[in-house]
Amino acid sequence: MIAIVLLIVGLLAGSGIGYLAAPRPAAQETLAVIGPWAGAEMQAFLPILDKFQKNTGITVSYSNVRQEDLRPLLLTQFPAHRAPADLIFMVSSFIREHGPTGDAVDVTDLVNPANFAVGATQGTQLLSPVTNASKIYGGIYTGKVKPGFWYRQSFFTQHSLSPPTTWAQFQSLLSDIGNISGVSAPIVSGDGVGWPLSDVTEHFIATYGGAAMHRGLTNKTIRWDATGSGTVRDILATRLVPLLAAGRFSEPLAADSTALTRWWNGQYGLYFMGSWIGNWIKALQLNPAPDLNDLRVFPLPAQSGVTPGVVFAADYMFIPTYTTHLGAAKQLFSYLTSVEGQSAQVAQGGHLATRIGVPDSAYPPGDLDVAKSLAGKEILPDLDDTIGGHFQTTFWNELIGLWTSTDPAAALGPALTAIQAAVPP
Amino acid sequence: MGGYTLVTRIRHIPSKILLPLLSRISRHGLRPHAGRALFFTPALVLLVLLVIYPVLQTIFLGFYLELPGGQRQFTGLDNYRAVLTDPATINVGNLPWPPPLGTLIHNALWIVIHLPISLFAGLWLALLLQETKGASVVKSCIFLGMVTPMIVGGVILRFLLEAGVGVVPSFFGVIGVRSLAVNWMVHRELLLLGLILGSVWLWTGFSLIVYSAGLTTIPKDYFEAARVDGTPPGRMFFRITFPLLKPLTLVIVVMTILWELKIFDIVVAATNFGGGVGADTLALQVYRFFFYDSNAGKAAVVASLLTLLTLISTSLILRRMAK
Repeated sequence: MIAIVLLIVGLLAGSGIGYLAAPRPAAQETLAVIGPWAGAEMQAFLPILDKFQKNTGITVSYSNVRQEDLRPLLLTQFPAHRAPADLIFMVSSFIREHGPTGDAVDVTDLVNPANFAVGATQGTQLLSPVTNASKIYGGIYTGKVKPGFWYRQSFFTQHSLSPPTTWAQFQSLLSDIGNISGVSAPIVSGDGVGWPLSDVTEHFIATYGGAAMHRGLTNKTIRWDATGSGTVRDILATRLVPLLAAGRFSEPLAADSTALTRWWNGQYGLYFMGSWIGNWIKALQLNPAPDLNDLRVFPLPAQSGVTPGVVFAADYMFIPTYTTHLGAAKQLFSYLTSVEGQSAQVAQGGHLATRIGVPDSAYPPGDLDVAKSLAGKEILPDLDDTIGGHFQTTFWNELIGLWTSTDPAAALGPALTAIQAAVPP
Repeated sequence: MGGYTLVTRIRHIPSKILLPLLSRISRHGLRPHAGRALFFTPALVLLVLLVIYPVLQTIFLGFYLELPGGQRQFTGLDNYRAVLTDPATINVGNLPWPPPLGTLIHNALWIVIHLPISLFAGLWLALLLQETKGASVVKSCIFLGMVTPMIVGGVILRFLLEAGVGVVPSFFGVIGVRSLAVNWMVHRELLLLGLILGSVWLWTGFSLIVYSAGLTTIPKDYFEAARVDGTPPGRMFFRITFPLLKPLTLVIVVMTILWELKIFDIVVAATNFGGGVGADTLALQVYRFFFYDSNAGKAAVVASLLTLLTLISTSLILRRMAK
């Protein structure tokens, strides 16, 4: 009996040694990339990775993970000196936090900040890569702008509506849309985890509090719960809250499905969303196929004496220290921040370049207009993405509470107090 | 035949090798319980490494503040004070209603609402299906909720409660209750109740199966004797059925409370981690403290409280069961 057991053990051990000792062909290098894009947005990103693969012979595999889910994944793997991918797209606050702790590769030699600007071809405001203590840990890919309220020109034409240029006209427009038969509310609100509401709130702040107020909140030099004239509370209480109380906004609905479909079908007149909305509409697979030339956008009407800003959300990426393909990852990083890489991406639609030198000819017509419209404007980073962490989730949750409150005026104060309490030191 | 012989021989390996070894150890002066200790040691090592050490480490972490660079600073009970006075744990300002009421209160509401409904629904169904033809098919259907992964259950709940696709808002819209014909996923006063009530079906199968098994163990003579005495059915239930099912009721109560205290996956899947403050639970708070605030100390405090609550509630019920 013991002889049989020993024989089996010997055979298994011999097989194991043989397997380990056998020569193998060199494995083809495969880079893993994690990004936030799924569906149509992912389909618009994969061709860029294909081009890189053709240029270099390095295979790239892409997985999409929501950035809210990616955070715990990375925080679990980093202490074990592991990373789920060789190049990861993540919010700037996370990269800035984890660069100095040794989790992100120092890419100072790969990035020249002077080469990056919002809208790229127009040479607008310079865009900073993710730096901490003068070292660069994150690169800037392309970005999206959150220009204002989207509408269908055919809907406006049918109901004799026109984009507003003053606050009074905006209120009148909402009233007119609300009176149209079959319209549930003038503006549809997106749900998701709360970011569509923070985007529209930021737009109100950046327009009526101005770029300076938005920047002050991002830099934590202005308080959310301050009282008095010209404060955040004042801006929201006089501009946003009356609209919520009057039912001008719908209750939050699933952003990329229910809200989008109902708005496109005319149940709502306006939708505040980023420039990626075109890709979302394409992904709906409506019958007949939607005509994206019908898509128009207008910002909130500016107020005299206030310099408005527009939020530009760049996509940031970093190379985790624990990559086993550092050389190849740096090659891909350089490609994605190059004129060639970004030209390929903007050609897919929905993206605006950040790399100076991307030619106008690379853009689809609609996107070029959006990119050109940024010239001369105050460009702002996404507020909650920049601060990140507990603040971000609190901000989102408090806005959901405000949106669904039966008395938004009374709910505003406690919401701002809770948001301020979540601002990190 | 050859296979049978091999299997038989393999089965005998422990008795042929280990038992003589143990008896040899025994003969050489070791105490009789040495064999038991030898067998117990691997389990003990695993228990210490995988359960006791992490539990102690978690309690230990609760007294420290993690500093950048992996340093730790002893802060005594500061983390406990911070967690227990945090409105995210107990939101005194919103009591008694509406949510968010704090994770501790939310968990308590899960127990107060979900436990009796799922327990009595299971008992009622078990009694109803006791003598029913084709009962096993119905029981299997109800038990499906138990075998459904809770993540899937959460997604199903989302689809039930979300405006535009959900049956629940549509139903209330049809019957004209406008205040409930809304997106339950974003209305804080509805989200928590929606999740608690919506998840009753996921757990009712458990009490149904346990009670169904228990009912078969009650001798029919008791009921026949009671019937001869002219005892009404309601009295029979309260005097015979329910008291004899008491040990099983306690098992169901313990298991359900454990499930409700640890509730995490349903809330996460249903709310997508968002809108979560209105329905956050203690387990979710551990996650938020650790992954969003990078505060291991506070996360450890909530985890310790959760363990303590679980131990207290279970031991109280088990002690009662033993009487």
